[in-house]
Amino acid sequence: MGSILSKSRWRWLIVFLAILGPGIITSNVDNDAGGIAVYSIAGAHFGYSFIWSLIPIFLVLIVIQEMSARLGVVSGKGLSDLIREKFGVRVTFYLLLALVITNFGNIIAEFAGIASALEIFDVSRFFSVPIGAILVWLLVVKGTYKSVEKVFLVACLFYITYIISGFMAKPDWNMVAQSVVNPKFDLTSGSLTMLVGLVGTTIAPWMQFYLQSAVVEKNIKLKEYKNSRVDVIMGSFIVNIVAFFIIVVCAATLFKAGIKIETAKDAALALAPLAGKYCSVLFAFGLLNASLFAASILPLSTAFVVCEGMGWENGVNKKFYEAPQFYLLYSLLIFAGAGFILLPGLPLFPIMFVTQVLNGILLPFILIFILILINDKKIMGEYVNKKGFNIFAWVVSGILIMLSFLMLISLLG
Amino acid sequence: MKENSFKMFLFLSEILGRRVIGSQGKLVGKMVDMKARLGELFPKINFLCLKAKGERNTFLINWEDVQTINENIIKLKEKTIEKTSPVETEEMEILLAKEILDKQVVDTLGAKVERVNDVHLLLSEGELRIVHVDIGLRGILRRLKWTRWVDAVTNWLFAYQIRDKLISVKHIQPVASDPERKTLKLTVILRKLSEIHPSDLADILEELDKHERKAVFESLDVETAAETLEEVNPKVGISLIESEAEPLASDILEEMAPDEAVDLLLSLPEEKKEKLIKEMDKGVREKLRELLKFSEGTAGSIMTVEYLSLSQDGTMTEALEKFKNSTDPLETTSYIYLTDEDEKLVGVSTLRQLVLNPSQKKLSELMNKDVIKLNINDDIDEVTDAFKKYKLMALPVVDDENHLKGIITLRDAVDAAFPEFQD
Repeated sequence: MGSILSKSRWRWLIVFLAILGPGIITSNVDNDAGGIAVYSIAGAHFGYSFIWSLIPIFLVLIVIQEMSARLGVVSGKGLSDLIREKFGVRVTFYLLLALVITNFGNIIAEFAGIASALEIFDVSRFFSVPIGAILVWLLVVKGTYKSVEKVFLVACLFYITYIISGFMAKPDWNMVAQSVVNPKFDLTSGSLTMLVGLVGTTIAPWMQFYLQSAVVEKNIKLKEYKNSRVDVIMGSFIVNIVAFFIIVVCAATLFKAGIKIETAKDAALALAPLAGKYCSVLFAFGLLNASLFAASILPLSTAFVVCEGMGWENGVNKKFYEAPQFYLLYSLLIFAGAGFILLPGLPLFPIMFVTQVLNGILLPFILIFILILINDKKIMGEYVNKKGFNIFAWVVSGILIMLSFLMLISLLG
Repeated sequence: MKENSFKMFLFLSEILGRRVIGSQGKLVGKMVDMKARLGELFPKINFLCLKAKGERNTFLINWEDVQTINENIIKLKEKTIEKTSPVETEEMEILLAKEILDKQVVDTLGAKVERVNDVHLLLSEGELRIVHVDIGLRGILRRLKWTRWVDAVTNWLFAYQIRDKLISVKHIQPVASDPERKTLKLTVILRKLSEIHPSDLADILEELDKHERKAVFESLDVETAAETLEEVNPKVGISLIESEAEPLASDILEEMAPDEAVDLLLSLPEEKKEKLIKEMDKGVREKLRELLKFSEGTAGSIMTVEYLSLSQDGTMTEALEKFKNSTDPLETTSYIYLTDEDEKLVGVSTLRQLVLNPSQKKLSELMNKDVIKLNINDDIDEVTDAFKKYKLMALPVVDDENHLKGIITLRDAVDAAFPEFQD
């Protein structure tokens, strides 16, 4: 009996791994250190009041990711490749510069995540961060990343603890429903920044580049495009379900108790209803996995995208002398990102939050490029956007730009 | 421009976006592109593409009507300007900004895919010709308009200046294919591609996107296509053969080494596989069907059916003749396998033995009767163990009744044991 049970469990795992498409992988990387920080802060500082935002964010995420995947399948090219060919080197250069800066922020956030997670066990960041950086660097350069990816993905099932914890904390479902049915929003700088952060972490600019490259790499055929759409929707769903429960559980525990999150230990308390005194351990494990996972992907994806756009050789199967720009940029992003965290006196949780706001500011610009490209008949043929879809997407970019603008004004004023 | 007899180099980026004025100094429009006629070694510019202020469409100016052109000024001759719009290119024409700049090209000399940062032009004897494409950092800096201060900094710090990295237009093959036409431009100079070694071509194909890849692949002759397909990463190979029309795809597969062709066929959907096999010549078809029967991971699945065999009653001279007439690669012909009347393996001779003792002697007198062989059902580990132990170039493969079915070369064994070597 025992062997049959374990066999079926293995089969389940195999099926789980087999259906994993680029969309689902992207979304799991998306729930990274920055994501956990932003959702925790949203729940702990604002209670249930931001729950409503997840619905529009979910829709926009699907729309944008669907476009990225479609661009990849139809053109067979990466996003930076397409931008270079359509807009020329000047536009590409400045856009990639902005992307590198934003992604660098995200990489810093991942190392902040590694540091916070291990500080729960009193491991000094001067020890954990350099080790983490070297580990990640080797993982990719030695070509072992692909085999470790599955481990990271399975470890992402850790997010289920938030769901269980969410029910055990007995949240006020009435208030959750209230937030959705009757959304309230004020234009204070705190709320605006929170919203831009939520958008920026859930719909990060790097995701669109990464997803499109992954779709191209997978060589998905037009016939199979429908599967990719399902994959993208599933992925977007996972991101938002996780976000929803992190917010809910933080609102039900931390917000109720009036705890403001300053460190990872504070955020870990949200898991107390499930894990009791072990909540810190569980949280630390989840945060560490999420941070390492994203730290392995982000620098690599950034270096890849930049080299692709600028026409430099890239890829981990190349030797250093064949692709010097690629390896230099990749290494610089990791070691400078890790080094930044070692500057004395840095508050880690706020860093994770601020970098996500940066994402939110860059996002609408990336979206505009995607929209122009996807409506180009020369590239997309009959697969250009449908009219209604287009209007929605353009309105979204307009709203996002306005949001960033309002936030900046409110921060200055 | 006949009166200009001096020579001058220009970069496309230096003249794009410049104002073009008529002889009276009146603004005609802005330079947006140039059109060149293909066919010559250094293609000649025959039209400028301009855009007038406030107008959507671009129009063409004949090169004959250009008075002066340099990085400061573009002036036209006195003449009424005929506006033909919109700008389209024919088979033998190419637009520089739209179809070369920022696009990928194959450097056929270095056998690499490069991205074009700028186009280098030569003005000489009143004609403007494309001479180089710029693929270097300096080209990027020029387009960003940073050259001056980057030069100042590098000069001051290192007494060094970043240099141009140019490739002669003789050695480039544009690959940008528009999705409607689905073909490559410049069919004239396509032969350049077939001069590249197939394993380099395979690397090039891997770097291109799927449309470009298909266009380049289709431009190759069947033989080169087959050799390239043997070298290319299996994932890319499958997508190429799958997207190819049946008769051509079958021809290419026929040209390939049978074991490589079988590997590809096995990865295709059943229906497509059957269609392709049906189109092939009878001989090849039967060979492949035989190979297709073996399950993956066995000696049968990696063996090739290109080998030399002869009846043991044959003579040494006959055997040598057989070597001379073989077109198969050397590694599959280092041994000749000898069979009895039932096609059962009874012996083996080496090439050396035959070269040294050509005579009318029967092979059965000279052959090595103690043949080391593999069974078609042996797994890969057993295959590699045998190669490790006996240090031979190739081993014969037999079925349970000792019928000779094929051979495995050392290279096949290495490929099977270390799949990463194949990339």
